[in-house]
Amino acid sequence: MRIGIFICHCGHNIKSTVDIEGLKGYFKGLNNIACVEDYPFMCSEPGQALIKSSIERFGLGRVIIAACTKALHQDMFKNLVRDAGLNPFLLRRVSIREHCSWTGEDIEKNTSKAIRLIRAGIYSSAHYEPLEEKQVEVNKSALILGGGISGMSAAAFLARAGIEVYLVEKEKELGGHVRHLEDVWPVRERGKDIIERMTEELKTLNNVHIFTSSRLVSFGGSFGNYEAVIENSGGEIKVIVGGVIVAIGFTAFDPSIKPELQYGIDKRVITTLEFEEKMHELPIKEGSRVAILHCIGSRDEIIGRPYCSRICCINAIKTGEAIKNRFKDSYVESFYMDVRSHPRGGEEFYEDTQEKGLLFTRANISEIIPEQGGLVLRGEDTLLGMPFEREFDLVVLSIGMSPPKDNQEIAGLLKITLDKDRFFLEAHPKLRPYDTALKGIFIAGTCSGPKDMEESINHGRASAVKLYGLLNLGYAFIEPFVAYVDPKRCSGCRMCEQACVAKAIKFDEGLHIVRVEEAACMGCGLCNATCPSSAIALKGYKDTIIDDEISALTEAV
Amino acid sequence: MQEQAASRVLVCIQCGKCTGGCPESGRTPFNIRMLVRKRQFKYAIEEALPWYCTACNACTLRCPRDVKPSEIIIEIRSSMVEEGNIPVTIQKALESTFVQKNPWGKPRSKRGDWAEKLGFKVPHISETEHKRLLFSCCIHAYDPRCMVIPVNVATLLNKAGYEFGILGEEECCCGNEIRRIGEVGLFEELMEENIANFKEYGVQEIIALSPHCMNTMKNEYGDMGIKVVHYTEVLSDLIKEGALKTEKPLESGIIYHDPCFLGKQNKVFEPPREILKSLKNVNVHEFVRSRDISLCCEGGGGRMFFDVEVPYQRNGEIRVTDAQKAGADTIATACPFCLMNLEDPAKEKGIFVKDISEILMEVI
Repeated sequence: MRIGIFICHCGHNIKSTVDIEGLKGYFKGLNNIACVEDYPFMCSEPGQALIKSSIERFGLGRVIIAACTKALHQDMFKNLVRDAGLNPFLLRRVSIREHCSWTGEDIEKNTSKAIRLIRAGIYSSAHYEPLEEKQVEVNKSALILGGGISGMSAAAFLARAGIEVYLVEKEKELGGHVRHLEDVWPVRERGKDIIERMTEELKTLNNVHIFTSSRLVSFGGSFGNYEAVIENSGGEIKVIVGGVIVAIGFTAFDPSIKPELQYGIDKRVITTLEFEEKMHELPIKEGSRVAILHCIGSRDEIIGRPYCSRICCINAIKTGEAIKNRFKDSYVESFYMDVRSHPRGGEEFYEDTQEKGLLFTRANISEIIPEQGGLVLRGEDTLLGMPFEREFDLVVLSIGMSPPKDNQEIAGLLKITLDKDRFFLEAHPKLRPYDTALKGIFIAGTCSGPKDMEESINHGRASAVKLYGLLNLGYAFIEPFVAYVDPKRCSGCRMCEQACVAKAIKFDEGLHIVRVEEAACMGCGLCNATCPSSAIALKGYKDTIIDDEISALTEAV
Repeated sequence: MQEQAASRVLVCIQCGKCTGGCPESGRTPFNIRMLVRKRQFKYAIEEALPWYCTACNACTLRCPRDVKPSEIIIEIRSSMVEEGNIPVTIQKALESTFVQKNPWGKPRSKRGDWAEKLGFKVPHISETEHKRLLFSCCIHAYDPRCMVIPVNVATLLNKAGYEFGILGEEECCCGNEIRRIGEVGLFEELMEENIANFKEYGVQEIIALSPHCMNTMKNEYGDMGIKVVHYTEVLSDLIKEGALKTEKPLESGIIYHDPCFLGKQNKVFEPPREILKSLKNVNVHEFVRSRDISLCCEGGGGRMFFDVEVPYQRNGEIRVTDAQKAGADTIATACPFCLMNLEDPAKEKGIFVKDISEILMEVI
């Protein structure tokens, strides 16, 4: 094996605290080292030319670039190596800048560490094999789970962009929770009207296939070629889709798990959703006393809902406003911990309703005593430090969002993850808020955490754009770092099959061993860690590579 | 447990839910939210204040941030106990518990004397087959009013053919109140002595007569591998099975008062009600404030051993008035603390307060 080592000075960055000549001297005489070169900037054109010509001149089989971290210039160096006629997976980057020269001033120590790092690169690269990135075809179709406002928004975007869309809704009609809203703030429209407009739009697009009263019952395959089985009264329908958007929404919090609030026990205690539905049938009139309780099912650790549901403050204010608009002489008091009327215009709305006479008291009602004459609320005005017992005719609980009921089922079918609050988990909360850990599977709307309507629509559209970007290419490259099985060592215990989140491992009944479906494998390595016989490993990350790298690092210089 | 409580002080958001549910707030100077606030900022706390707390636990059960205000009270009291800065009667109760293993300082040798009033011999736990232990509260063992309760329950169990045993003078205070007073060291000592006895005699199940004993043994003794139940749970099962027959009619309107340590803290709501509903010719009433929102009798958390100086209408009085309004002639309860606290105001208004076991004795 002929190995070439290329040491970068990075101007003064490496050179000033690492003895370059010393490094060169150490490696020059070693076995299999065909050349050791250094240059002020390996990433510059002359530096690249030096690497390329050395590969050709010495017929190198391995290229070790000791410079900055792999996070920089990796594609450029890979292409360079490929152009020189060497498989790019035979390149090894060693970071002697971030991990070495920048960490201290001691030249002797840094040089010694650089030697160890480069040596580790040599030892591990000795096991490298030429690998090829695979190309697969991608179906230009998408499955959208959940026909609420978020799923419908995603469906409309994808369909207009020419993607075949399968929209699956478990209820009889599209529209989710929004359909039942009497008054959508701040547009002051009926939710039903908004949903019907959106439904009409979807119906004009002939590449949208709407499945209502339907459920996903099985799911498999890999990015570009996912296989989904949808079930409804007509039977089962199998579809092949390139990607998926999960938009199954939320479940309204059920306050009956807090018996001290008397919900479900006393009819005079209702939720904001019930208020929306039967606003005009409620037994209230001029002079009635109505209490509105914020944060019911939100910001409550004791019942496992520590998060803010984001919509309930506006809902509470809207409820108070609706009562005050109808009955000017009603007494409406809103009990809050903090008023978070954060959407645009929310603070002004809060102020307007205060002007209309809605009262706000900073108190968290502890219990409701259902006396015959009225509901007695016990709490403390925390700003005055005054405990109180106040009587009301009606109590409206501003309920929050709980995770969707089908979260476990969908997460299990798709092999995606839930967060600690049982909502769907995004790949990265800031940088990849729409992605899941699985390629081509996105999340949208409230199923990934409480959101208002505007945010849900945006989330749905953003996921649609992200999915479109992947699908529109028509093909995908698959990383070659996939698992492979040594059939001689595999005992067929199938532990790896259970560990595999990508469902890439299949059991061969005949041979009683497992096989890896390379297209589905994500290269996460869980199988590798699970296998009791070391029969399964990742290409490019074999156990021997890691072992040798560690021994190279720990050996004396 | 204390360290955990200390760390939760910092996450309080001062929403006031604790004060809203507190049986002392509004009518006394006690404000649990403000005490937590003062604790957060390490401000001085007026020394009379922490002793109002009745340990009903409503604050901790409802706190949205899981701050555990009732544990913070214990923490404050602990530091006062350490400094010796506590009411004299509390001091006496602690000393008596240390010496005689009961807060009244009655001789330990007389702890099992109630059993002599029975017409049969109750075996020592070591002589039983099923190792079911009937555990009495210190009040049951020494208070003349309450001594009838262990006698009743033992008689009822015996009548139903349900085998059980007792510890006699080896039994010692459960420590539930001692821990809430803030004497954690003494609590641990009592706990260890009890656990050592349970282990030595291979106890399989504890039938606690007092919800206070049941609470601490179930939730604070650690995992003993022993089932801990309240006597009403056992009796209600025996009635359902037909082993105990409640045949004699009892012309009465009975209202059930939920003890905090049985009801809201341990969610035993149904068994006492099921017992009452099984009685012939009895009208069972309900307080408006029942189950999770039941009003505390103010007997727990050390309040049994001393009284606060500020005059205010006691919850016992409110409870008795409410019972009369509901049309009841008898308040039934299943806790010696509640029994003692409700009985004085009840006598004045001319209605009865009875333990569930007393009512059962009248109908079998």
